[in-house]
Amino acid sequence: MRSVYRALSGLILIGFVVQIAAIAAAWFQVLNDVDDGGVFDNNTRNWAHIVHAVVGAEVIPLLALALLVVSFFARIPGGVKWAALTFGAVVLQVVLAFAGYSVPGVGALHGLNALVVAGLASVAMRKAREADAKPAPPVAVA
Amino acid sequence: MRTSTRAAVAVVAALAVLGPIGWFWFDSLVTGTYDMAAMGYPDYGGGPATDHDHRTGIAVADLKGPSGTPDVAVTLTAGKAGSRYTLNGASPGPEIRAVQGQLIQVTLVNESVPDGVTLHWHGVDVPNAEDGVAGVTQDAVGRGQSHVYRFVAKDAGTYWYHSHQVSHEQVKNGLFGALIITPRGATRSDQVAMVHTYQGKRTVNGVPGISDISSSAIKVVNTDAGPIRIWVSGTTFRVTAIDGRDVHEPGVIKDQAVLVTAGGRVDLRLDGPGPARVDVGGGAALTAAGAVQAALPRDTLDFLSYGKSGFLGFDPDRPRRRFSYDIGRRFGFLDGRPGLWWTINGHLFPDVPMFMVTTGDVVRMTVHNGSGEVHPMHLHGHHVVVLSRNGTAATGSPWWTDSLDVADGDTYEIAFRADNPGIWADHCHNLDHVPEGLVAHLAYTGVRSSFQVGGPSGNTPE
Repeated sequence: MRSVYRALSGLILIGFVVQIAAIAAAWFQVLNDVDDGGVFDNNTRNWAHIVHAVVGAEVIPLLALALLVVSFFARIPGGVKWAALTFGAVVLQVVLAFAGYSVPGVGALHGLNALVVAGLASVAMRKAREADAKPAPPVAVA
Repeated sequence: MRTSTRAAVAVVAALAVLGPIGWFWFDSLVTGTYDMAAMGYPDYGGGPATDHDHRTGIAVADLKGPSGTPDVAVTLTAGKAGSRYTLNGASPGPEIRAVQGQLIQVTLVNESVPDGVTLHWHGVDVPNAEDGVAGVTQDAVGRGQSHVYRFVAKDAGTYWYHSHQVSHEQVKNGLFGALIITPRGATRSDQVAMVHTYQGKRTVNGVPGISDISSSAIKVVNTDAGPIRIWVSGTTFRVTAIDGRDVHEPGVIKDQAVLVTAGGRVDLRLDGPGPARVDVGGGAALTAAGAVQAALPRDTLDFLSYGKSGFLGFDPDRPRRRFSYDIGRRFGFLDGRPGLWWTINGHLFPDVPMFMVTTGDVVRMTVHNGSGEVHPMHLHGHHVVVLSRNGTAATGSPWWTDSLDVADGDTYEIAFRADNPGIWADHCHNLDHVPEGLVAHLAYTGVRSSFQVGGPSGNTPE
């Protein structure tokens, strides 16, 4: 379970990297399309927007949820806490993304909270690694 | 802690997290085939709770247009090549023109659209069975099949037609055309400008960039998913009609843009005499030789105070029913798919209201949008009149509309007369939003469903 925990937190971290790359590519793609006579309107979504939407609204939340569930079984000191915080930050991230539609300034917080998600996921990953390095805690015998 | 206790705690914690999620997922599943009229819950709007039995009364399929020899007979053959949809080999499809009072007959033939097609007469208050909504008013027309639509061109105006089967994809990729009903004895020429964005390129009548202007009467149709702003250079102008209904004593407009919402139509009359240009955004425009493009004006015309007030024909202050159509957005499952979905009165599809009315009712509806994005709301089979926006009463010409741009944060009071029995979709015309849950229905007492969503015809209205 520890390796699963470690893999999941690592995948969330990779997800973060994919997200920052995708969203930058998305808007450069828009600039390029508009330059080429294209229209940016209500429903404009290029490939990179779709990647960002799918990874951000589906893949990462599912990974964060799985991490939380796995944490209950992984017996990592602080594992549940860091998984729960990561999950919470991911939920906040989705909320901020959609709040940004009404109040575009909230989009800035979405960008900053992405760093929080990445930071928490990397702490979770480190906790799993540290727990692996140490000998397993003695099992209480009745 | 004992290992067994630990394991038990872990299992309980996992169930506590996953259990509710699993339940919400399960609870959201929709059967593959269902009667749209039986979905959700009846909302009587404070009026008498009428019979909500969908198995008795007049069948939707029987609410057809008149028989007889048509005055205008058109055959439209739908095709699909790659991702592109055409009617009679073109997109937009042929412009259908009729004089007020004529009987129109359109034979829709599906040559090669695998998912099936229908035609909805957007803005025309046709009898219910002619409305062209797959799974609600007819079965989708499969490949090799055909369907005949018949209706009287009752009200002169600018309309359009489009598929209402897998409509978010079929309309975006070209399955639509213009329908113009001219008043009896009219001699004035006009020019239709169907605005559509194909693969990221905005076009007028399928042509990107600039096209020639050929009339001082321009009928703009927004077939896209979002609102557009149009503006006129080189002359002053008037908006003579909105959504196929004349504006009463329209005033002269200068330095103002006009917002045309998704699905909406606006008729312009250019005052001249200088060379004029009508821009629809994205570099697409109708222009006369020598016209100089002005920048998009900062101001936008407000229909709420445009024109002179006039007679409504009914008293909206004494409604029989009052409905609320409150659009929101929240996380949840829609047919098992997790995501942020649109809500109506706080509920996710299919747990949405069925607005129940009786023929003759005066109906008021408060449409509020707190969802973060604009929604062009389209009620089938009826025109509604705007009474107020955010508490400011309408003071201009009666603003009759069938496609109302409800911006984020806005609240509109609208009213209409329930005078067209049937089961009518009342949905967002950003068609991508419909599979995301933004559709409700208006249903008349004593009308029973004839069709089902899903089923052997694969009816997929959204």
